[in-house]
Amino acid sequence: MRRKFSALALALLLAACATEQGRVSTTTVQPPVTTTPDAGAILPGAGIVGAPGITRPSPALPNYPKSIQDSGATPGVLALYRQAQEARAAGHADQAEAALERALHLDPRNPFVWQALADAHLALNQADQAEAAAQKSTSLAHGNPYVEAGNWRLIAAARQARGDSDGALQAQARADDIARALAKTP
Amino acid sequence: MARSRKTSRDPDLRRWLLTGTLVALGLALLAFAVYLLRLDAEVQREFAAVRWVLPAQVYAAPLEIYPGAPLSIGDLRRELDRLGYREASELLGPGTYVAARNDLRIDTRRFAFWDGVQEENRIEVRGDAQGIGTIRVLGSTQTLDLVRFDPLLIGSIYPSHGGEDRVLVRLNEVPPLLPQTVILVEDRNFYRHIGVSLRGILRAALANLRAGHTVQGASTITQQLVRNFFLTPAQTLHRKLREALMAILLERHVSKNEILEAYLNEVALGQDGPRAIHGFGLASHFYFNKPLNELQPHEIATLVAIVKGPSYYNPRRYPQRVLERRNLILKMMADAGLLRADQYQREVAEPLGVSRGGSGGAVRYPAFVDLVRRQLAGLYPEEALTSEGLRIFTTLDPRVQSDLENRIQTDLPEIEKAHRMAPGTLEAAGVVTSVEGGEVLAVVGGRDVGYAGFNRAIDTRRPIGSLAKPFLYLSALEQPQQYTLDTPLDDQPVALKLPNGRVWEPKNYDRQLHGQMPLYQALAHSYNLPTVRLGLNVGVDRVRDTFARAGFDDVPAVPSIFLGAIDMSPLDVAQIYSTLAAGGFRTPLLAIRAVLTQEGKPLSRYPFKIERTLPEGPVYLTTWAMEQVIAQGTARWASSVLPPGQVYAGKTGTTEDFRDSWFAGFGADRVAAIWVGRDDNKPTGLEGATGALRIWARLMRDLHARGLDPTPPADVEDALIDPASGLLADAGCADAQALPFLRGSAPQQYAPCANAAQSSSPLNWFEKLFKK
Repeated sequence: MRRKFSALALALLLAACATEQGRVSTTTVQPPVTTTPDAGAILPGAGIVGAPGITRPSPALPNYPKSIQDSGATPGVLALYRQAQEARAAGHADQAEAALERALHLDPRNPFVWQALADAHLALNQADQAEAAAQKSTSLAHGNPYVEAGNWRLIAAARQARGDSDGALQAQARADDIARALAKTP
Repeated sequence: MARSRKTSRDPDLRRWLLTGTLVALGLALLAFAVYLLRLDAEVQREFAAVRWVLPAQVYAAPLEIYPGAPLSIGDLRRELDRLGYREASELLGPGTYVAARNDLRIDTRRFAFWDGVQEENRIEVRGDAQGIGTIRVLGSTQTLDLVRFDPLLIGSIYPSHGGEDRVLVRLNEVPPLLPQTVILVEDRNFYRHIGVSLRGILRAALANLRAGHTVQGASTITQQLVRNFFLTPAQTLHRKLREALMAILLERHVSKNEILEAYLNEVALGQDGPRAIHGFGLASHFYFNKPLNELQPHEIATLVAIVKGPSYYNPRRYPQRVLERRNLILKMMADAGLLRADQYQREVAEPLGVSRGGSGGAVRYPAFVDLVRRQLAGLYPEEALTSEGLRIFTTLDPRVQSDLENRIQTDLPEIEKAHRMAPGTLEAAGVVTSVEGGEVLAVVGGRDVGYAGFNRAIDTRRPIGSLAKPFLYLSALEQPQQYTLDTPLDDQPVALKLPNGRVWEPKNYDRQLHGQMPLYQALAHSYNLPTVRLGLNVGVDRVRDTFARAGFDDVPAVPSIFLGAIDMSPLDVAQIYSTLAAGGFRTPLLAIRAVLTQEGKPLSRYPFKIERTLPEGPVYLTTWAMEQVIAQGTARWASSVLPPGQVYAGKTGTTEDFRDSWFAGFGADRVAAIWVGRDDNKPTGLEGATGALRIWARLMRDLHARGLDPTPPADVEDALIDPASGLLADAGCADAQALPFLRGSAPQQYAPCANAAQSSSPLNWFEKLFKK
C-alpha cells in the first residue's frame, strides 16, 4: 500500500513537471472540452493540445534530449542510425529505411529513430507512412519539443506532398510555434 | 504353315530369306540408331534444361548483439548452438567458437542479407549474466557496435502435396573430401569409365550369382544420376538398357565434374514427412544443422553412408546401423589416403552427432512456416515459391518461439492435472508479436509443436468471449463527455428481445449482482450485465467500427458481440490487441520482412506499415483499465508470476459452458494471445483465468517482456477520485484513488470528504499538493 502511495506521489510529481502547459490552460476556466476522436487526426498526443496559434508559454523545460546521442540509445541503435544518415545523405533512402527498421527492431520506442524513418519514408514518396511515423515519434516523445517540432515539419512536408496545402500550413504553424517557444526558453 | 514348308525347299526363296534377314537387321540397326539419336536428343535436351526444383528457403530473424544487449553470455552460447556453431578449443573457421566463463570468441559466418552482406568476422564478446559488455575484433583493438549473425534456416516452401527439397551447392564450394568420398564409395572408377563400368557389372554379377540374389549394384554415379533424372524406378530389363545407354550418351555431352555436381544436388538423402531431402546441401542442414562446408570428416562419411539407402540408413531411426557403415567408410577413406591415420583414429571415435529431429527443416516451426506460406501465397505464384529458390526472411524470433513452445508443452499437462482431465484432453494455440512493428515473433498451432498439421493459431475460430470487452469500453471512452473510467455502471439484470423473437438474458459468470460500480471496475472484473448495458447505450455499430479500426472487420451486427460472440483465431486476437498495445497504431501483422531471389537480389521488402486508427487518449484509458484486470480483477493470479514493479495489461476470455479459455495481453514490447480448449469444442470447465492466463503470465515472465510505460499521453491527466462518491478527492479523503481522464473530462465537483469541497476549481487539489 505504501509503495502504491509513493508511486502515486511520484507519478503526480512527474505529471506536474510534464504538463506545465496543462496547468496554465486549466486555470483559465474550462468548459468540459470535448476531445473528439478526430482531434487525433491532426496529431494525437501532441505536446500542445490547443488550436494552432495558441503559443505555448515559455516553460522551464525538463532535460529533454535534443538528439539521439543523448536519448540513452544503445551503441547498436546509434550505429544503425548513423548508417541510415549516411545512406540518406548519399541518396539511398531505401537503405536508410532498412537500417532504421533494424534499429527499431532493437529499440522500438526511440522517437528519434521513428522521426528519421518518417524522413526516409518522405524521401521514398510515402507521404502517408511518413506522417504516421512522425505521429508515432511524437507519441513516444513524451512532450519533447525538439522532437515534436521536427515531426511537425515532416508532417507539413508530407501533407504538401499529398497536395494538402492547408494541412501543411497548419502543421508548419505548429512547428514554428514550438520553435518560437524554444527560442524564448533560457 | 504349309506355305512356309514349301518355301524352305526353294533355293530362290532361300536367297530371298537371307536378303530379308539382312534387310530386317539393317532396319533394326536403323531403328536402333534412330532410337539412340532420339535418346541422345532427349538426354541433351533434358540435361540442358535441368532446372533444379528449389523450394523457397525460409529464415528466422537474425540474432543481433551489441554492447548493452540484454543477452547473457550463457544465452548467447545457447543461440550459437541453435545456429549450429561448434565449440572448439581454437577457432577452426566460420561457425566455430571458443568459450570461457565471461568471454566467447566466435568466428562468425558470412551471410548475404537483404540490405547487405555481413562478412565473416573473428570476434571476442565479453559479458556476464546480465548482458553483453563489449565486442572486439580479434587481433586488433577495433570494437564493434553491432554484430548480426547468420539467420537460422527454419524451413522451406515445398509443394503442399509433398515434393523435393534441396539447398543447391556448387562443386567448387563443397569441401573436396565430400566428392572424393562419394567417388570412393559409390563409383571408384568414376573418372575413367564411359558412363557404365564393365568391370563394375562383372564384379556385381559375380557377387549376386554367389549370393543367389541381388546384393550389389553396379550402377555408376552417371547411371544413378540418369535414373533419378529421366527414369521411373521400375526394375525392368528395358529400363536398365535405356539407363546404360543414356549414361553413355550423357558422358558424351557433359563433363565429369558437371555430372558429379548434379549428382551431389540430386541424390536422395532422406524423407521428412511429405518432404524429400535431396542433395548434400540440404542433408547437411537436415542432419547436422550447419552448412556443408563446416562438416567434419566423420559427418561427411555419415552422409555418404546414407546414400546407400536413406530409409534403411536413417541415422535418426537406426543410429547403430549408420554408425557401423560410417566407420566402414572412414576406414575406406583412411585406406585410400583421404585421411591420415591419426585423423582416422579421431574421427572414428566421434559419436554420430546427428541433431535431433527436424532441424534445418520445416518440421522445426511448422505453424509459423504455415503462416509464412499463407502470407506468401497472396504475393507470389505457388510455382515461384516451390521451385525458384527464393530466400524468405521472416520475423520469427527463435528464442520467443521456443519459450512459447515450452510453456504450452509444460503448462497444458499441469492444467489438465489440476482439473482432473485425462492427459491429452486439451489443445492450445498461441501467437506472440512485437508491439511497435507488428512482427509475428512466434506461432504455436497445437500442443504437439512439431506437428505440421491443423494450425489452431490460424484455423481455430472460436468465440472470443470477454476478450471483446476492451473494444466496447474503448468505444465508450471515445466519448469523454459521456463516459470516463469513473462513470457509474449498473450491475442489474437486462433482457433483450431479439429480432427472431427470442429473449436474450445474459448473466454474470458468478451469477451474482454487484450493484453500481465505476466503469473500469466492470471491465476489471469482467461483469457481463454492466457491459451489456453499456454496449446498448454505445450501440452495436460503434463497437463494430472499433473492431474494424483495431484490425478485424468480420463482426456480426448483433448485441451478443458485447460479450464476445465473435469467432476469431488467436492470430486475429493478436492483431486487435497489437493495435491497443501500440497506442492505437494499427500494423497489419506480418511474418515476412524481405524476399530475395536465389542469387540474392532483393525482390521485395515489407517495411513497417503503421496507421493511427484508434485515438491515443481513449486507448490509454482502456489500457489502464486492462492493467486493473491484472492488478485487482479476473487475472489477479498473474501478479504472483509477473515481475514485481512491472505493469502489464490484458483480458481474460471465457465462453459459454467453459468451452474456450482465452487470455490476451501485452507489456511495452510484447503482445501475446493464448487459446486453450478442445478440438471437439466440448466444455473444459476452464475460465480464461484458470487456463490460458496460466500460460500467458509465465510466458511473459520467460520472455522478460518489459512492463508498460506509465507516462500518459498529453491529452490525459490524472485526478484523485473518492470511490464512494465518484467525485474529486483530496488529502481529506481516506481511500482516494488516482484515475486517468481525458483532459477536461474529470468530475468537476469535490466529494463530501474533500477539504476543498467548497472550491470551484477542479484542480485546486493539485496545486495544494505541491504548495505544501
